[in-house]
Amino acid sequence: MIGDERDKEALSALMDGEAQELELRRLLSAIASDAALRERWRRQQQVSELLQNRDIQRPDIDVSKRVAASLSHRSTLSRNPLWSMAVAASVTFAVVMGGQMLIPSAERPVSPLISDIGGAVVPVMGAQPVQASLGAKPLPVTNRQAEEASSAARQVGAAYERLARDRYLSLNGQHADAAALIHPAPYVLSLHTDIGAPAKDQDSQ
Amino acid sequence: MTASETDQQLVQRAQRGDLRAFDLLVLKYQGRIAALVSRYVADASEVEDVTQEAFIKAYRALDKFRGDSAFYTWLYRIAANAAKNYLVARGRRPGADATIEDVEAFGDAELISQSASPEAVAMGDELAGVLEAALQALPEELRAALTLRELEGLSYDDIADVLGCPVGTVRSRIFRAREAIDERVKTQISGDSGFR
Repeated sequence: MIGDERDKEALSALMDGEAQELELRRLLSAIASDAALRERWRRQQQVSELLQNRDIQRPDIDVSKRVAASLSHRSTLSRNPLWSMAVAASVTFAVVMGGQMLIPSAERPVSPLISDIGGAVVPVMGAQPVQASLGAKPLPVTNRQAEEASSAARQVGAAYERLARDRYLSLNGQHADAAALIHPAPYVLSLHTDIGAPAKDQDSQ
Repeated sequence: MTASETDQQLVQRAQRGDLRAFDLLVLKYQGRIAALVSRYVADASEVEDVTQEAFIKAYRALDKFRGDSAFYTWLYRIAANAAKNYLVARGRRPGADATIEDVEAFGDAELISQSASPEAVAMGDELAGVLEAALQALPEELRAALTLRELEGLSYDDIADVLGCPVGTVRSRIFRAREAIDERVKTQISGDSGFR
C-alpha cells in the first residue's frame, strides 16, 4: 500500500476511533501539508453524520481556516522567545532598579532616629534604622550606632544586588539557549562545527 | 477504542498546544455547531462568526476540559452560550425557546428542520439521495461492514465477530466503502455550496 493510501485508510480508522497512536501522529503531520487529506476528513465526517441522521440539512460552512489562523497568530505571539525574553528582561530590570532604590548610598546618607531608651538598632531594607521608642521622643543615634546600622544595611543591600544579578544572568542564559534553537543565523552553529572538521580529517589521514 | 476516545486523544494533543489536532476537531464538529448556532442566529454570516468564536473560546478554555463529559457536549454548551451572548450584546433577546437545556433536548434533525431554508432542505435531500444510491451500489461485504459501523455503531472487533473475518479486513472494507461513497458525493459536498 502506498503512503497516500495508507494515510487515507488511517484517516478512516481515526474516524472510528480505531487508529493507532503512531498513525495519529503520522496523520497530523500529513494533514498539515496535504489539503486534500484534510478536506477528505471534513467530507467523510459529514457523510458519516448524514448516514447516522439521514433527515438533516445543516449549514455547510467552513470556519476551520479562520479558527486556525486566529489561534496560530495568538500562539505565535505568546510563544515567540523574543517576546518572553523582552518580558523577562523588563521584570529583571524592574527588580534590579527596585533593589537599587532600597540600597543606601553616599548621596542618600542615613540619618537615623533613636529613642533615649537603650536598645538594638535594626537595619531594615529601605528604612532608616530606629530604636524602639516606647512613646518617648525619638533621638538621633550615636555615630557608632549609625555606622553599625549603615554597615549592616549595606551588607544586606549588596547581598540583594548579588541575588538580582545572579537571577538576571540565569534568566538571560535560559533565554539565550531558547533563542539559539531558532537562531536567525544557523550558520554560526555550522561554522563552529566546521572548524573542528578539518582537524579531524587531518588526523585520520 | 470509540470515536469519543479519538476526540479525547485529539483534545489531549490540543491541550499540549497541537493546533493540528484541534483543527481536526473543528473540521469534525463545525457543521453540528453551526447547526446549533443557526438555532439562535438566522443570518448565515453571523452563524459563521459565532461558530468561529465558539471554537476559539473552546480552545482557550481547553485546559479546563477534564473529560468528565464528551468533548462534543462540552463544546455544545460553549457554542450555545456564545450564541446567546452574541444576541445579548446586540440587544437582541435570545429566543425564549432556546435555552441550552432545550437545545440539548432537541435532536439535530428537529433543530434544523425549523431553521433550514427550503434550498438547504432541497440540497440536503439531493445529497441524501446520492448517498443512498452510493450505499446501495457498494458490494455486499463493503456495505455490511460500513452499515454495522455507521448505523449500528459497532467496534471493529465486534464487526469482525459478526462478519467472521479479521479485524484488518474490517478496517480495509470500511475504508474502501468510504472511498467509493466519497467518489460519488464529493461534488455535492466540496466547494462553497452554502447549505448542503
